This record gives sequence, C-alpha cells and structure tokens, in this order.
Amino acid sequence: MRTKKILIPLFRDEVAPRFDLAGEALIVAVSEDGTVEGRQNMVLPHASADDLCDLVLSRDIDTVICGGIEEEYYHYLRWKRVDVLDAVAGTAEAALTRFLTGRLKSGDMLFAGGGDRV
Amino acid sequence: MRTAPSPLDALAPDPAKLAEILGGLPIGIAALDLHHRIVFMNKALEDLTGFDSRESAGIPCRHVLRCGLHLLGARQSETAGGREGLIKGRETDIIDRHRRKLPVRVTRIEVTDGRGEVAMYLEAYEDLSPLRDMERRLQDASGAGELVSRGEAMERVKKVLPAIAQSDSPVLVTGETGTGKDLSAQVIHKASPRARGPFVRVNLGPMPEHLLEIELYGRVAEGGEAVLGCFQRANGGTLYLSELADLPAAHQAGLVRVLDDQTIVPAGSDKGVRVNVRLVAATHKDPEELVRAGTLREDLFHRLGAVRLHLPPLRERGEDVEFLLTHFLARFAARFKKDIKGFSPRAIRILRSHPFPGNVRELKNIVEYAAMICQKDMILPAHLPGHILIGLKPGESPVSGRAAETRGRKRS
Repeated sequence: MRTKKILIPLFRDEVAPRFDLAGEALIVAVSEDGTVEGRQNMVLPHASADDLCDLVLSRDIDTVICGGIEEEYYHYLRWKRVDVLDAVAGTAEAALTRFLTGRLKSGDMLFAGGGDRV
Repeated sequence: MRTAPSPLDALAPDPAKLAEILGGLPIGIAALDLHHRIVFMNKALEDLTGFDSRESAGIPCRHVLRCGLHLLGARQSETAGGREGLIKGRETDIIDRHRRKLPVRVTRIEVTDGRGEVAMYLEAYEDLSPLRDMERRLQDASGAGELVSRGEAMERVKKVLPAIAQSDSPVLVTGETGTGKDLSAQVIHKASPRARGPFVRVNLGPMPEHLLEIELYGRVAEGGEAVLGCFQRANGGTLYLSELADLPAAHQAGLVRVLDDQTIVPAGSDKGVRVNVRLVAATHKDPEELVRAGTLREDLFHRLGAVRLHLPPLRERGEDVEFLLTHFLARFAARFKKDIKGFSPRAIRILRSHPFPGNVRELKNIVEYAAMICQKDMILPAHLPGHILIGLKPGESPVSGRAAETRGRKRS
C-alpha cells in the first residue's frame, strides 16, 4: 500500500499565507485509508519558494497545501505532478483534517469570520 | 470634562460607514481590528487583491492581503518580543488571488478612540506595478517594450508612447503591415494605468455580421446565459481592434455609440451594460483615404483619431535595418544554439538594398530563416531566402558572392 506525503508550509500553527515566505514546513505521511503514519516539522534555513519546491520534489511529496503561491511555482509543481491546494487559510490542523476527509479544496477559508465560510 | 471625539472616531468600526467614506478612494484601504483581522476593504483593494470585502471580514489580514512586509515583520516582532508599529510608505509586495506577485507601497495608521486608545488600524495599499512597468521600459535602452529600434524616426514614436499610455483617450494606430501596430498597442496598455486589467485583441477580419456582433457585444441567451463580448472581456483594461477598415459600416455606427456612452447592448437583450474600456484601433490603410472612399465613417474616425500614432515603414527608418538585423540574429542564434557572429559584407549589402515591403516582420522572418539554415559562423548570401535573391544582378548571385567572400577572406 502506497503512503502519500503532504507538505504544508507553516506560519506559526497556520498554513503559511505565502509559500515563498514560509519559515517552517509540516510533512505528513498518510496511508491509503487516511491514517496518519508520521509527521515531521522542519525549520527551513531561509524562506524561499525555490528551496521549498526542491524540498517538495526531494521528499516525493504528493500534495502541497498552501496559502498564496505565485503562478510560476504553482504550475511548476503541477507540471512535476504534485497536487497543489492553494489559497487555503486556516490552521494547519484544520486544513489537514479537512484534507483527510477529502473535503479540502483550493481557496478554502477555514477561519471563523463574517462572510460565507466552508 | 469630556474629550472631543477625533474625526476618525466616525470611522470605527462600522463597516457600512467605512464603505461610504472609503469606498470610492482610488487607493486600496483596509480597516483592521486590533487582532489584525479584516473589518473592511474598499473597492480598490478588492480589485488589487481579488478578494471580496464581505467574504474576507474576520479573516487575519495576512491571509487576504498576503503582504510580504507584514509576514516578515510579524516574524521579526515575534523574535524581538515587540509589536508591529506604524508603517509609512514602505515598499513591499503582495500575492493576489490570481497568484500574481504585485509590488505595493503600504502605509498604516492607528485610529484612536476618544480616550486616545487604538481602536483599529487603517492600511493603504498603492499598486506600484504600472510604475514598475514604466520604469522598466524607460531603463530599457533599446526601446519601449519590445519596440526595438535605434533610429530617429522610431525614437520619436517611443518618446510619445508613455504620454499616450497615460491618457485614457481612444487611440488610432496607423502604419504599414509589419511596422509594429500590435506591439505598440500592447506597449500602450502595459504602460497605462490599466496595465493590471485585461488586454483583449480582436481581429475584425471578415466574419458573418451576426457573429461579429456577438464577438463585439456578447449575447444573452433565452435562458439568461450570457456570452461575453470583447468589450465585456476587456472591462477595466484595453480593447485592441486590429484592421479597423474591415469593420462593416453598420458596426462602425455601433462603435461610435459605445465610444460616446461607454455602454453596450448584448445581442438578445434590450438592457445596456456599462463598460470601462480603452479602445485602441489599428489599420494599415490611410484612414483619410478610407473616409473619402466611404469605408470608414467620418464620425468614428474623428473619435478614434483624437490620439493618433503613426508607425514609419522600415525603409524610412535608416540605420534601424542593420540594428534590427543584428538584434534578431543574436536572438535567433541563441534560440537555435548556433555561434553565428554576424552577416558577411555581401549579405548585408543585399539586405540593405532590399525594400522590405513586409517591414520589421519580414526582416525578422528573413533573419530567422537565415539563422536556421546557416551552418557557418557567418550569414552568407546563400543563407538568405530565395525571394531576396531574385532580381539580383548576375555578379551578385549567392554562389559568386560566396566565392568572392571566400577569396576576400583568404587575401586578408
């Protein structure tokens, strides 16, 4: 059974609002039945979209859950067959939980607020 | 004694009042609560970020504005144990909803209540992309955008382009085929305040009239489903109509109405739709001649001709021919990964005497062809396309030319 890997760039405990400015990343290994098999928090030497893309590829990440990401990096990752769920706003845990139940999509706002929320 | 309320007290923190006061300002304004959550964004900021004020209310601003300064500032203040203070005109960038990184200038002020305590923050975002685009063009020694030139005739054109770009009047671009009308229209758009809006190019070449009407003004189907016309697609940006002379007379009258009212009526609807579009039209024919011949309505010509840009043909651009030959050779040699150093004197002579009826486009195609088939370090007459060589005198044939050049090199 293949384990899927998810990477979430972090800002504190939230999905980093910007891919290129994330100082940390959470990597989660998930089995096909949705069980979390392992997780690893990584502090990045410096914020860089290029370095984060390299990390995604070197770690064989299947899905990136992130906030704002530039078109260039978004398409690069997609071209490298990495799924990208971008413009996700919320805590990393909320995003991960939603992803594991198959309900997370790009643009999801997971904070409680005044407008329409998922 | 009661302290008199500050005028800014009137702002806080009623979104309806904020919308009323800040809504129409041309720069983006966000009102944030003390936890830096969005309370309100005005229309200009909605346009800049791509996010709607209502759907963003209550969301931490870092997830909506995605401002580099705030994210870096928040991290630094975290480590320093401080708080983010006032910001006055700091340049940074944001990533908008459409994944574009945009340069901005941010200013933040605190709004205090009657007791002098901070009640909310107001942040102003100025979009610097038009400025950056303009700076890039001005720094580019070779010319405005991709309009490459060095000669005086084209330099005059490039000098007026920024001024034309800053006005919002319709523009009529004239010039022979291949002189750069399409590029000029793009340069005007990119250097204009509408640069962040769409640039829509429509070829008015022959097509059935009903399709042309739908292409121009859109259509509303019986079920209410709308097909957007080019005016709607270009809303907020620039609509470029190439080959204006091909537009049938009936549609020219429609275009006059749109220019006057900035309103279009889609096919199948009786309701006008307001559009905010700058029109740039082009023709390779003489517009005065077209008016005389009755193929271009005089009223349309006068509306479009308010700002007119004429692009000179290559034969009137003097030194540009050699400059462009070198420029395109460098580009195509790099593309085909060839080490071609230049043109042989004989090839240059032949090219210099060619009239280039297709102007820069023809010159570019000739160089592309020559660079493609050239297997040496220099473009020889034999590498030039056949049509250039037709009409050459017998002594100038590519074979004799090549032999002469080889001899010449051996001698030297």
